[in-house]
Amino acid sequence: MNSIYDSRMLNLVIFSPLLVAALVMFMPKTEKAQIRGVTLLGMLLNLLTCVWAWTRFVPKSPVEFQMEYRLAWIDELGLSYHIGVDGLAMTLVLLTGVLGPLVVLACWTFIDERVKEFHLALLVLQTALLGAVCSLDVLLFYVFFEAMLIPMYLLIGVWGSEERQMAATKFFLYTLVGSLLMLVALLGVYFIAAPAGQRSFDYATLYNGLMSLNREVAACTAAGDCNNISAGAHALYRWGPLMFIAFSIAFAIKVPMFPVHTWLPDAHVQAPVAGSMILAGVMLKMGTFGFWRFAVPLFPGAARQYQLPISILAVIGIVYGALMCLAQKDIKKLIAYSSVSHLGYCMLGMFAFTGEGATGSAYQMLNHGVSTGALFLLFGFLYERRHARLMADYGGIAKVMPIFTAFFLVVTFSSIAVPGTNGFVGEFLVLLGTFKSNLPMVIGVLATTCVILGAAYMLWMVQKVFFGTVTHQENLGLKDLNRREIIAAIPLLALIAIMGLRPQPFLDMLNPSTERFLARAQYASGKTDATTEDSKVRVMVRQLPAKVAVADAAPAQPPMPRFLPTGRLMPAAAALNPTP
Amino acid sequence: MLNTPNFAMSEFMAVVPAAILVVGAIVLMLSEVFLSAANRTYMAIIGLLASVVAGAFALSNAFEPARMVLQGYAVLDPFSSFLTVMVCIGTGLACLLASGFLKHRNAERGEFYALMLFAAAGMSLLALSNEFITLFVNLEVLSVATYALTAFLRRGPRPAEAGFKYFILGAFAAALLLYGAALLYGATGTTRLSDLATVLPGVMATKSGLVYAGFGFVLAGFAFKVAAVPFHMWTPDVYEGAPTPVTALMSVGVKAAAFVALVRTFLALVHGLDPQVPFTLFSILALLTMVAGNLLAMPQRNVKRMLAYSSIAHAGYLLLGVTALFVPAGSKASDVGGVLTATPLLATAAVNAGVYKGILFYLLGYTVTSIGAFGTLAAIERREDETRGNTWDLERFAGLAQRQPGWAAAMAAFMLSLAGVPPTVGFLGKLFIFSAAVDAGLIWLAVAGVLASVAGTYYYLRVVVYMFMRPAPVDAPAPFRHWTTEVALVVSAIATVAFGIIPGPISEWLSRAGMVFGN
Repeated sequence: MNSIYDSRMLNLVIFSPLLVAALVMFMPKTEKAQIRGVTLLGMLLNLLTCVWAWTRFVPKSPVEFQMEYRLAWIDELGLSYHIGVDGLAMTLVLLTGVLGPLVVLACWTFIDERVKEFHLALLVLQTALLGAVCSLDVLLFYVFFEAMLIPMYLLIGVWGSEERQMAATKFFLYTLVGSLLMLVALLGVYFIAAPAGQRSFDYATLYNGLMSLNREVAACTAAGDCNNISAGAHALYRWGPLMFIAFSIAFAIKVPMFPVHTWLPDAHVQAPVAGSMILAGVMLKMGTFGFWRFAVPLFPGAARQYQLPISILAVIGIVYGALMCLAQKDIKKLIAYSSVSHLGYCMLGMFAFTGEGATGSAYQMLNHGVSTGALFLLFGFLYERRHARLMADYGGIAKVMPIFTAFFLVVTFSSIAVPGTNGFVGEFLVLLGTFKSNLPMVIGVLATTCVILGAAYMLWMVQKVFFGTVTHQENLGLKDLNRREIIAAIPLLALIAIMGLRPQPFLDMLNPSTERFLARAQYASGKTDATTEDSKVRVMVRQLPAKVAVADAAPAQPPMPRFLPTGRLMPAAAALNPTP
Repeated sequence: MLNTPNFAMSEFMAVVPAAILVVGAIVLMLSEVFLSAANRTYMAIIGLLASVVAGAFALSNAFEPARMVLQGYAVLDPFSSFLTVMVCIGTGLACLLASGFLKHRNAERGEFYALMLFAAAGMSLLALSNEFITLFVNLEVLSVATYALTAFLRRGPRPAEAGFKYFILGAFAAALLLYGAALLYGATGTTRLSDLATVLPGVMATKSGLVYAGFGFVLAGFAFKVAAVPFHMWTPDVYEGAPTPVTALMSVGVKAAAFVALVRTFLALVHGLDPQVPFTLFSILALLTMVAGNLLAMPQRNVKRMLAYSSIAHAGYLLLGVTALFVPAGSKASDVGGVLTATPLLATAAVNAGVYKGILFYLLGYTVTSIGAFGTLAAIERREDETRGNTWDLERFAGLAQRQPGWAAAMAAFMLSLAGVPPTVGFLGKLFIFSAAVDAGLIWLAVAGVLASVAGTYYYLRVVVYMFMRPAPVDAPAPFRHWTTEVALVVSAIATVAFGIIPGPISEWLSRAGMVFGN
């Protein structure tokens, strides 16, 4: 551990797709096969780095963020290029890495126009996604968060189907409104978390600063006299809930939660296979990840305050998504609405603030990426053959495409959480956590009912599409999956089985971050004494930015080292008093 | 017998950049008379060279210690020297833009560039004036040159109207300023700012009415020049009517110089006054300017007018920074917060250094961005459309990404920077200003500013949406390309992004040297 490779590994993870993109940029437009090949190789290389990082990650380590790398960027603003991963981020990195090559394979023949631009967009998007997951500097996160909008917008808007312009614009505007709100809240956090001169966008500074203010506010609220608190605590007291709401709206749009989910069905329906896969697989996770990493830990008090409303919205999302699915004729739209429903489980589990719920929520993030990604992938194969999205256009496909049908069934089972598949683990934990939490029973009951609804809409869809007699002559000539397509589908099927039958390695990976999240959330729900949780809820980072004096009479400042010494970890106590 | 003062050579250092600009202007005028080359691109190059040399000299001045020079009529301090650097950057880029623009209209004449350089010299001198008469004369030097530039393409009705409007209102504003200065002179018997600062507290007991009246008139005069709401009425019409490169120069140079002069003047004038008065006035100006500028820009479909209103909004953010300088001492966090009160989060030490730096950095960012934005506009506008009145319609940007991907990318960078989206220089500038304001305790005002700028992203991004998401019209004319224009666009685009990612040395210089004499 802590070799020189470890500290620089994440750079490779994040930027290897971008390097390949630079290579692709210099390739001639007409060499389509070459471009595809190089992109695939680049994505595989990226996957390799992700797997390597995964193997170097030590789940049991007491350090929250591993493989940290920090490069001073703009010291006077406390801005740095700071990356690192915790357990949840690591699994999301792996998920992104796995989806990368599959996306390229899925679109091997489907995309035949502007091939070069398409693959460039994919590679840039990969970098932005991985960067956002790994960022430990909040502004860096924001930059990556915004940066992923542009390639995604292009993927939908240029290579989508008929209504692509409308869908792409809708997607862009929704997300942009959210992220601007987030920027405002982020600046607010930046200002109140630390006094002038010591401000930093570093996650640890923000978290630790807000934590002490949170504690102060909690203490004064308990004492009933909030007149003599520090200015920062006063600001948090007054603005905290508003900032939490701003963060929540930003991430809720991305998740997407009811009622700001309306961009998702359009975007999914119009996007090409690759767009849908990445959108469902990784991009929606940025919303839940944002809640997990920022909204809840930074504002535990406000999170407690809004626990019930958000849980209710999550349940409405679950029920509404499922009901909408029952009414759909369009298969892609059905999968999109099932996403709304599934991510509702994620949010519900997270806001249950119980161990089972949080673990289930994190697991469900991965599940949804795998199974919905696989659904879009497989449906993409069918769409490429028939160019039809309506269930009525199919029927009896099982007879003509047996392998495809088998694959699709497995993924369907995962999506409806049949025991033995990954979906079961996640949903079960979420429901268990919800029942054990302080939320009203009815919420858990409603969420449970929707498991049945989920089975109903998926199985109905499967029945209409795959079984019965072949009703359309065109469908008789459909070819079954070829070798490339099978290769593209196998990894996801394997993940479904592995994560369903042997979830332990993944749960081990997630466990430390779940515990930390929970410690912060428990603090939020007021169950534990704040002081006893103190050491647990402390973010450990190597070194916080040195105090930057307000340059008044321009004293000669000691030059900041461009590289901070890597590989040394500060003990928790030292992290509290950053001294350069 | 005249009493000839004995000046040391080093005292003239302050005015050397302006002198270089004036020499460049004279060379240009003479060349117009004696050289009759058909291709006049060399004139833009001379203008550029003069700006570069003057800028380099000003930059070296910026590291001199701050001091009074020329018997206290001027100061040599980093604040004004950096302003001169920015003016020179703006002027050089505007010269490059003007070359292609004027060639397209067969209007390339030496006096155009000469006027630009004269205006730049006026800006540079205005920034370092430390005495009311000097200040007024330099303000006029810069104003007269810009009046003439505004009406330079005199054939169309619009430039004439714009020039006339600008002249009338500009003269009115200058008169207000002069009147205010006269009242202050009446009260104190001095026109030198540094003397005013020492005399004012003493005369407040007897002549406070005169002083407050003078203060108000001077403030109104400056508010006209920086286009603060409610003194902004002339801006959209003048900006729209002026030739686009001139608009670019006005939006950056004139405004920046006026801001620096404003800061310098009012730092001296507030001595002895009730601290609540300047603070409240500046707060109101900043709030109105930020909010109204953004709201008025929103419905504009004419991109040039939109940029004009947006320049008002940006003046508002700068005024927010200025307000932070005048926060009355003794405000406490426990005070009930309001838009017009300061509630510092912490017992603040010197926030002023941060404010100067924020203002300078913001001006730098706005200079490169705004020049670029107006430059793109100048590049795509066509003379044939001018009679039809839709020269600058948003539709002109439709599908620009397909026709001119490079220009579209540059324009997108400028729009994002104006909107304040990271990682562009506009974001960092806003961050500097807003953090300075928050440190000074202007929390509500900063919140209003952030919200206003969030609202502002709407109209900036609309341009991006048109460029990238709308199909190009079938009859879209081929743009008139000229290498100087493209050089200017490339330089400003690179600066917009690069300063946003690595402001390193620049922001260090600004923080080390961004100080005002006497403070």
